[in-house]
Amino acid sequence: MLKQKTTEQIKAATRKTESGSHAFYNNPKYRAAIYQALLIFGLAYFFFTIISNTFDNLEAAGIKSGFGFLSNAAGYDVLMSLIDFSSTDTYLRVFIVGFLNTILVSILGIFFATVLGFIFGVMYFSTNWIVKKISVIYVETFRNIPLLLQILFWYSAVLATLPGPRDSLSLGEAVFLNVRGLFIPKLVGEGGSILVYLALAAAIVGIFVLRSWAKKRQDATGQQFPVFNTSVAMVIGLPFLAALVTGFPFVIDYPALQGFGFRGGITVIPELMALTIALSVYTGAFIAEAVRAGIQAVPHGQTEAARSIGLREGKIMSLIIVPQAMRVIVPLLNSEYQSLVKNSTLAAAIAYPDLFNVFVGTALNQTGQAIETIFMAIVVYFAVNMFISFIMNRFNSNVELVGR
Amino acid sequence: MANTFKTDPIEFKPAAAQPAPSSTVGPVAWIKENLFSSIPNSVVTILVILGLLNVVPGVIDWMFISSTWSGASQDACVSDGACWVFIQAWSQQFFYGSYPSDGLWRVNLSLILLFVVIVLSFTLPANIRLKVSVPLFLVLPFVCIAILDGRLVGLDYVNTDFWGGFSLNVLMAAAAIIVAFPFSFLWALGRRSDMPLARSISVVFIEFFRGVPVLALFFMGSVMLPLFFAEGTNVDKLVRVWIVLIFFMSGYMAEVFRGGFQAIPSGQYEAADSIGLGYWQKTLLIILPQVIKVSMPNILATFVMLFKNTVFLLIIGIPEVLQTLLTALSNSNWLGGHAVEGYVFVGVIFWLCCFGMSMLASSIEKKLDTSHRN
Repeated sequence: MLKQKTTEQIKAATRKTESGSHAFYNNPKYRAAIYQALLIFGLAYFFFTIISNTFDNLEAAGIKSGFGFLSNAAGYDVLMSLIDFSSTDTYLRVFIVGFLNTILVSILGIFFATVLGFIFGVMYFSTNWIVKKISVIYVETFRNIPLLLQILFWYSAVLATLPGPRDSLSLGEAVFLNVRGLFIPKLVGEGGSILVYLALAAAIVGIFVLRSWAKKRQDATGQQFPVFNTSVAMVIGLPFLAALVTGFPFVIDYPALQGFGFRGGITVIPELMALTIALSVYTGAFIAEAVRAGIQAVPHGQTEAARSIGLREGKIMSLIIVPQAMRVIVPLLNSEYQSLVKNSTLAAAIAYPDLFNVFVGTALNQTGQAIETIFMAIVVYFAVNMFISFIMNRFNSNVELVGR
Repeated sequence: MANTFKTDPIEFKPAAAQPAPSSTVGPVAWIKENLFSSIPNSVVTILVILGLLNVVPGVIDWMFISSTWSGASQDACVSDGACWVFIQAWSQQFFYGSYPSDGLWRVNLSLILLFVVIVLSFTLPANIRLKVSVPLFLVLPFVCIAILDGRLVGLDYVNTDFWGGFSLNVLMAAAAIIVAFPFSFLWALGRRSDMPLARSISVVFIEFFRGVPVLALFFMGSVMLPLFFAEGTNVDKLVRVWIVLIFFMSGYMAEVFRGGFQAIPSGQYEAADSIGLGYWQKTLLIILPQVIKVSMPNILATFVMLFKNTVFLLIIGIPEVLQTLLTALSNSNWLGGHAVEGYVFVGVIFWLCCFGMSMLASSIEKKLDTSHRN
């Protein structure tokens, strides 16, 4: 690319010196300017036609453009919302509810997809033939079947065949699974619980401080510090201590059968379950592929060198192979996470109330504000994906090869 | 041995190799090495086999042994197994949608034409391959539309409302990627261009169509696109979706081509410059054939993605195969709960197509890989 540019420049330069005998339209500089002017003109004409047509059409349909509709009452209920919502709330609140639901399913999907992907990706390198084949079968099966088909399959062929509330599958009378969804106990904090949350936050901040301190010390003195064990101890110990001091200010709210349904606890609706399962299984297959590619990209000599300096097999994986594989894996993870967020719009097929379904689907139908609703939704997906990209790039610069 | 040396001292005959010890060859050794190499490995193997024994016989029994294969209605399905009668009864709809029965040959003809053109593009002699197959490909979508629509070629008119089923998925994906080809090539060229305006327009276009959820694009196609046309123009729903798919596809393919351009050594550009070729001659005659060759595996991978995404059309109500399945499942004569059979059937079809294409892609990749890393 670089060389090619220089030849172009040399050509331009030689032509310039012998100009006079050449017409100006053979000068690449003028040519480029003319082409770009034509391009701009064409594009401007195209957009002008589209916009004027749109205004004509909107006028003919009697739709008032603008974002004024956002403060009108929505008039419909949403199946599931993380914040309080009733049908008298505005379209703006519908937007927020949908946005939160999208974020929820994206976070759940990304978490489970990463876990599945890393498990099956590492399984490919097992010395056990059956384990390796299971990894291959998982990847090739779920990668090659359309996601929408998988969502519908989980929703209407698996979750819909679960027993009714009265004969639900239960785990220790605390977790229930039936056709209405998954019911899990909920931890309700009372006064003083704030101290426990603060302790947890302090523990998480402490881990980062500890990590950088331990790294600095290792760089300076070569002494290692058991960062992982200390971190686990801090995350469990500090909140536990705080709870002990405040006298366990928590009540566990168990779900219980009342009449025809369950009351209390946290309800995970089947739509959310189906979407999360399908998204994580589908994306997990792609992530497993990425993990496999990343580990394969690490030359075998690295393993041999690590063995020759006497590292144990487990340490070889965690200290030598995985950090180098991450350089390949992280950029791939970035794009998989982004496509997971985009794919979560398929919630529309099973009526999970994500942003797309409640806002672009229902709100658009009711108000006819096609351009505004689609624009807002697109902006949100762009913003979320840029956020993911930002985080992953930060993470990537941590694992990147540092030239010395 | 000593005698042989005397009679023919030049020829050296090594003794025949000993057979490998019986403990390292044969199925028993293979099983020992790959399944029971250590205690944890053995435990895992046994657990997995036990798990498979729990599941697999039931699945096989459901699918093949106690399933019903023939019959006229769902009353024929009395056993516990799968009711393949459902698939049989609806197979025409699954493949052709509600296209009129006496015109099915037209759909078949379109699919055969597609197949023939694809085969030709791989088998023609190399010197005319691109010259013949590129125009054939570019004409193909319009020929297929003419055949399916029927008005231009003097056949019975079939409205696009009746097109559907799996053939629609295949033809839609093929038509979209074929028309997207030249566009994506232009966008990729634009992104590499030295002209700042052309470059930034290409970047914005490519990133927009790659960044927006494809469902949002479909909604734009079905709700926003009609607003863009002049008042009174009525563009067919399928055509609008086709336009959306073309744009969507050209965004992704532009990135594939950009990778292909980057893989071409700069010596190729310089050589083309040195024999005095102009920009378009250089690009079309020297660079493009090589770009297509090196990006073939990625083009196929992108096509697989597009092909899987054609299922999304059901959300805007186009009767592709999954939509047809949902219609069949809610038919009052077939309310016996055949969801699993239906999903398995459609899933297997897609799996076969997508897996076949990814196999093809990796075999091309292997063929192209002339590096000797290992």
